[in-house]
Amino acid sequence: MQYGAAAEQAWYMPAMPVAATVEETAAQCVKRLASESAVVVFSVSSCCMCHAVKRLFCGMGVHPMVHELDLDPRGRELERALAGLLGAGPATAPVVPVVFIGGRLVGAMDRVMAAHINGSLVPLLKEAGALWL
Amino acid sequence: MVQGEESSWRMASAHERVALPFNQALAYGVQAHAAAAAAPPACFLDFQPAAAAAAYFGELEEALIHGGASASVDPSMIKSDVQTKSAGYLAARPPTLEIFPSWPMRHQQQLHSGNSQSVGSTPDSSSAQNTMSQMELVSPASSAQRQEVMMVTTDDYSYKPGLAAAAAPPPPGPAAAPSFQQQPMQLHGGVHDKRKHGSTRKDGKLVDTKTERRLAQNREAARKSRLRKKAYVQQLETSRIRLQQVEHELQRARSQGLFVGGCSAAGDMSSGAAMFDMEYARWLDDDSKRLAELRGGLQAHLLDGNLGLIVEECMHHYDELFQLKAALARSDVFHLLTGTWATHAERCFFWMGGFRPSELLKILIPQLDPLTEQQLLGIYNLQQSSEQAEEALAQGLHQLHQCLADTVAAGTLNDGAAAANYMSLMAVALEKLGSLESFYQQADNLRQQTLHQMRRILTTRQAARCFLSIGEYYRRLRALSNLWASRPRENFIGTESLSPTATELQVMHQQQQNQFSGF
Repeated sequence: MQYGAAAEQAWYMPAMPVAATVEETAAQCVKRLASESAVVVFSVSSCCMCHAVKRLFCGMGVHPMVHELDLDPRGRELERALAGLLGAGPATAPVVPVVFIGGRLVGAMDRVMAAHINGSLVPLLKEAGALWL
Repeated sequence: MVQGEESSWRMASAHERVALPFNQALAYGVQAHAAAAAAPPACFLDFQPAAAAAAYFGELEEALIHGGASASVDPSMIKSDVQTKSAGYLAARPPTLEIFPSWPMRHQQQLHSGNSQSVGSTPDSSSAQNTMSQMELVSPASSAQRQEVMMVTTDDYSYKPGLAAAAAPPPPGPAAAPSFQQQPMQLHGGVHDKRKHGSTRKDGKLVDTKTERRLAQNREAARKSRLRKKAYVQQLETSRIRLQQVEHELQRARSQGLFVGGCSAAGDMSSGAAMFDMEYARWLDDDSKRLAELRGGLQAHLLDGNLGLIVEECMHHYDELFQLKAALARSDVFHLLTGTWATHAERCFFWMGGFRPSELLKILIPQLDPLTEQQLLGIYNLQQSSEQAEEALAQGLHQLHQCLADTVAAGTLNDGAAAANYMSLMAVALEKLGSLESFYQQADNLRQQTLHQMRRILTTRQAARCFLSIGEYYRRLRALSNLWASRPRENFIGTESLSPTATELQVMHQQQQNQFSGF
């Protein structure tokens, strides 16, 4: 595991802030980042719900690629792009955590949990190659 | 007859304060008239045309018409009778109720004028009394008796003799009736002359019965509406009293609960919390109905289609509860997480504002015994994934607590509120506290998803039994809480003074524990 600057007890893999190519829009950036790894989580380092999602994946034996938006120079744009992807929600609700598996959007915490409960998360993970057995 | 009833209701409210003796007088009047009603005297035939012509008026006016149209009466008898009777009135009635807002003005004027002409010899107070008595006749009083009398006036075209019978014994049958009739007839003579001869009737008797029947029906309807009104008012009164009692109890219980629980000093719950409590109480009522339906459906061995409908309703019912809780989380998350809306026993097992899905599954699995391999596998997977999700949420919440504690304790605590970054500190802490709501939302979401998944794994009958088990389990917990709350307190006199209920409670408690010992 790689330890980032902001992680005190990092047991996940924080990705280094990626130097974006000049012409890329935020949405494209999100897409690119999402397809870079089997499981990608966009989070904010101080958000406890994001912590919960990370714990969930680690508990299942999955190691997601985590992008901390507050540590990314383009973080705000990325957050807005993610909000656009997720669709209209309550304006005050935090966008993160947002989970992509195998390049496809799964959604926010409630979607992830619903997928886990109805048993669709594990096959998805296996398909993306993040989980064996 | 709506017109009459409307005015009767209005007047009834205005005349609440009439003296009691008057009511008694009217009661006598009713009795007297009942005797008189048996045999309508021949002299009444004269004013039947008037009755027919005036049939389109309300029954109030009918009373006057009939009352005012009797023909051959001895004037001297009238006067003496009126005097004796009005003397009784004088004793009974305060002469202050002359203004009746709903009484048409022309009637009042004519009453007055008629009164002054015909009964000029009688003392003023008695004339005033008679005027009032006239009006009283047509304006129903607050008491049923007076209304009885009013209704009675429409019967048999005979004017109420009862009004005249104030303190005197009931006047002797029909003799008194026409005598008193004369006076009102004279009062209204001028007005109703036209009406009296307005229409011609060949067979007086026929009209008599028909109109009589109609009037009787009107009377019945009026009586029924009066009874209904009385019942309604009584119901309102009792529920008002009960509401007051319940409010007092609630205040007492809340103050006690707050004191014991060490919660916020503020006695008032937020409006969101209060609303949730009410809605939750209603949900519980519905819940018991659903359980009964489920039980009935299972015992009746309904077809899967019908049973499926009931099961769907149950599912929907639980979804409603989760919606309620989501609304509560938005408005007052602390009420949700402290769980004061649930009973004590339920609160023992609380996990993030509700039941713990994996625990519930553990309870349910033995209840659903004949399960196929696939179903068992599905349920165990469900159990495992819910445990993982619970763990993740719990960890997240723990992290939140840590953050919050760190934020509040930031800087030096010794400085108190004068610390440098106190306001910013508070702002950050507020923000962190705001994210509590999302955690409880997720916990409820988890519970809802678990229930839905159970429904998907099980067959219809199994799902029915599943919902029944869940409902019954929580009902038992609630019953347990009630028993616990009402158990007799231990006293120091001696063990034999413990009432049997206490030992019963213990036995029951042990039984329940044994029942759930597998879990």
